[in-house]
Order: sequence, then C-alpha cells, then structure tokens
Amino acid sequence: MDGADLPGMLPEMLPRLWAFALRISGDRHDAEDLVQRACVRALERAHQLQPDTSPLSWMFSIVHSTWINELRARSVRKRSSMEWDDDFLENLADPVDKGPEAQLMHGQIINAVGRLPEAQRVVMLLVAVEGLSYQEAADALEVPIGTIMSRLSRARQAVGALLGTPDSKARASVSRKDSIA
Amino acid sequence: MKTDDLMLMAYVDGELSAEESREVEDHIRASAEAAELVALLRASRLDYKQAFATQKLPPVPDSLTQKIEAMARSHSAKSAAASANDPSVPLPLVVPAAAPVRSRLRAVPTWLAAACVAGAFFGGLFLRPGTFPLLSPGVPSSGGATMASSGLSPWVTAAVGYQQLYTRDTLAYADENPAATSKIVDDIRRDDKLALRIPDLSSAGLTFKSVRRLNFNNKPLVQIVYLPEKGPPIALCVMKGVKSDQAVAAQVVDTMHVVTWRQAELSYALIGKTEGVDLDALGKRISNREVEQLFGNASSALFPLAG
Repeated sequence: MDGADLPGMLPEMLPRLWAFALRISGDRHDAEDLVQRACVRALERAHQLQPDTSPLSWMFSIVHSTWINELRARSVRKRSSMEWDDDFLENLADPVDKGPEAQLMHGQIINAVGRLPEAQRVVMLLVAVEGLSYQEAADALEVPIGTIMSRLSRARQAVGALLGTPDSKARASVSRKDSIA
Repeated sequence: MKTDDLMLMAYVDGELSAEESREVEDHIRASAEAAELVALLRASRLDYKQAFATQKLPPVPDSLTQKIEAMARSHSAKSAAASANDPSVPLPLVVPAAAPVRSRLRAVPTWLAAACVAGAFFGGLFLRPGTFPLLSPGVPSSGGATMASSGLSPWVTAAVGYQQLYTRDTLAYADENPAATSKIVDDIRRDDKLALRIPDLSSAGLTFKSVRRLNFNNKPLVQIVYLPEKGPPIALCVMKGVKSDQAVAAQVVDTMHVVTWRQAELSYALIGKTEGVDLDALGKRISNREVEQLFGNASSALFPLAG
C-alpha cells in the first residue's frame, strides 16, 4: 500500500474520518470543511505516505493537524466539553436489543470522554475508540509514544474516577485529598 | 511516578510478563496509592468502541461524499493521464475568478474546484445515461452547442450537476468586490469574446453574488450566481454557440429546474430549485431584456454589446 492507492481508499474511509472530525470539532459545518480540507492535503502529499504507515492513522493525523491549525488561526479556545456533549448526547443510543442500563452506560462513557482535557480526549478517541496502536497514535499526533501512554493513563484515571464503582470513587477522592495534603 | 503509572496501566491491561506482574503486585500491596490507581484504571476498562458506536452522529453529508469522490476520481484521472499521457476524457477546468476572502478551511485549491466540476461532469452522466457524447468513442465532440438526444446540451447537464453542489454556504464568502467583478466581466467580453450581460434580477428577489469563468470542453462557460432570499443559489450559465435562436424552454433535471434558450449566438441556462422563484418567467424576462444589466460600464470597446 502506498500513496497511489489513497484516492481509491478515501471514500471508504470517509465515515470514520467524518465521525472523528465531528468528535474533535463538535460542529458539523466545521467537520465537513475539515474532512474536505484534510483530503485535499492528503492527496497533495499522497507520495509521502510510507508503505509501513496505516493510511487511516495517517488520515487521522492530517484531520487532527488541520483542526489544530484551524483553531490556532481562529485564535479561539476549544469549545467546551459540555457544549460538545449537548450537541450529541440527546441523539444517543440505538436501543435495539440493548437494555436501558447499557444505553445509560454508553452515554456515561461518551460523556466522561467528552469531559477530558483536549489532549487526553483526542488520545482516547484514537486509541480506545478508533483502535489505533500507541505507536500509530503517536505518529498521528506527532508526539513521543510515552506522551501517548501518559495521556492515556491520566485520561483513564479520570474516566475510572467518574464511572468506577462507588468504592473506587471513594478511594479516588481519598487519594486526591491525600495527594493535596 | 509516570513510569509507575504506565506500568500499572500495562498491568491492568494484562500486557506485562508474569514476572513483571508479580513485581507490580508486590508494589500494590506495599502502596495504597498504587492500589487506588489500579482500581481507577480497572474501572476505566470499558467498551469505548461499542459506546461510541451507539453515538448517533449526523450522517456523512451527501455533498461531502460527492466532493470526496470527485476529488479522488480527479486525482486518479490526473495520475493516470500523467502516466498514460492520453487524456481521453477531457476534464473541464476552472479558471479562478478572483482571490476571494475566505477562512482558511474554505480556501479550496484550483484543482479541487476542477474536481467539483469533474464531479458535476460525471454527475451529469448519471442524470442522462447514454447521452454523453464526450465519452462515446468515434463521436466527435462539438462542445457546447451539441444537443444531446434528451434535448439538453451536455454543457447544461454539466452545469446542472455543478449547481447541485452549491449551497448558500458556498457563497457565504464569495467575493463581492465590484472592482474585481468588473474586471472579470471585462475579461469575459474581451478575452472570451462573449457579449455578456449580467442581468440585474433584484426585482425578482435575487441578489447578484458572483460571476465565474469556467471552461467546458475547452470553451468558455460563464456562471453568474444569484442568491434568492431563501433556498439554494440560482445560476445563469452562458456559453457561445453558433446555432439559431431558440425560445425559452423549461425542464426538470433531477431536482433542479432548468430553463434554456439561445439568443444572438449565446446559449443560456438558468438553473436552480424552484422554491419561491419562477425561473420560467424569469428566463423570459431575461431573454426579452426586460431587466437592467449590472456592470454595463465595464464593457471593453473591443467588443460592442448588442442591446
């Protein structure tokens, strides 16, 4: 696989690029521009795609860096997580053979990830949701693999504290008090 | 501390060797803090993929799908043409009209614009299967004046496909600089030798937004875009043609209303959705010169305007 195959793969990747763009931008108009812009950039530099790089993580990388550049250009802070949640949570969960508890849990998971700081949230989206390896996520975000792992660890601690059993939540709050003291 | 966290995460995820696991377990027994971290990390072992799969996101917009497909196709065609050196399918090119003021995300390179036209071009194929002379071997393409068997010229079919990609947002950042527009109109009249009139359609509730020099089959194609009070934009497209005059006729192509006529060796197509605007009546008013023209003073002395 190299860049020559990229044009043929883009339409197939589109749903995942769209979902990722929606989740990081939180706005469907931004997401549409973002995906389009990213595909333009990707095709322009298709020759740079290495045979050992997954085209999907390469595309995630371009979508993400395009978004970061756009945010810098706009000089605005990212949309708040709460706003992001409100946009999508009300549309949640296809109830087909899923019990209400599963739906509730899914909603809580999405909510918890949505509340994470931006850098951690993107790592969670890439690794836990999109299934990228640590190395692929590191390539996509252009940071060392150790950074990916520590962001992931902090993100998971935060999610665990939000969604864990009452016992683990209690212990987490004790732990926080201890660490502050 | 960080390494410790990472080891604990790897432990929770079952990624350590038996020996490493035993070491971590010893550490957990000795450290309440480590035990708490392990509890949090265990609680975070969730089916994120499944949870997000149930998140009902808005579907991929059709316009985006079309753009990406057109882009991919255009890119493949470009590569193929570059390697085979035999561009058997002429792709229409877009002449960028001006440098519009746009956000960075909306700044679309020329070849993408070409891809959109290419998409329209292929889209036209779907609208009228079997009637696209450019793709039929042995049939000499005679450009804009060729009438397809359906009665709709290929360039009109292509223009309809192109117009279908337009939304109000497409024009949100369109250049409204009158000086630049005058220059474009001048260039069209002088370089393309096309006696262009830009009708003032404000009496029909249509605001002039832009004029663009496009290309169909290596011949100039002018697209004049208007914005109605609501609904998607409406385009008046003009191409040269040597055939005799033809009265105003209306058709519906896909979801688009198309009104065509020929007058003084120019072919016109008024294209849009019909919400709130009677395109048929408007086409007649334009062809009867019942509307004023904009940028009339921009005309170059080289090419006297009829009317």
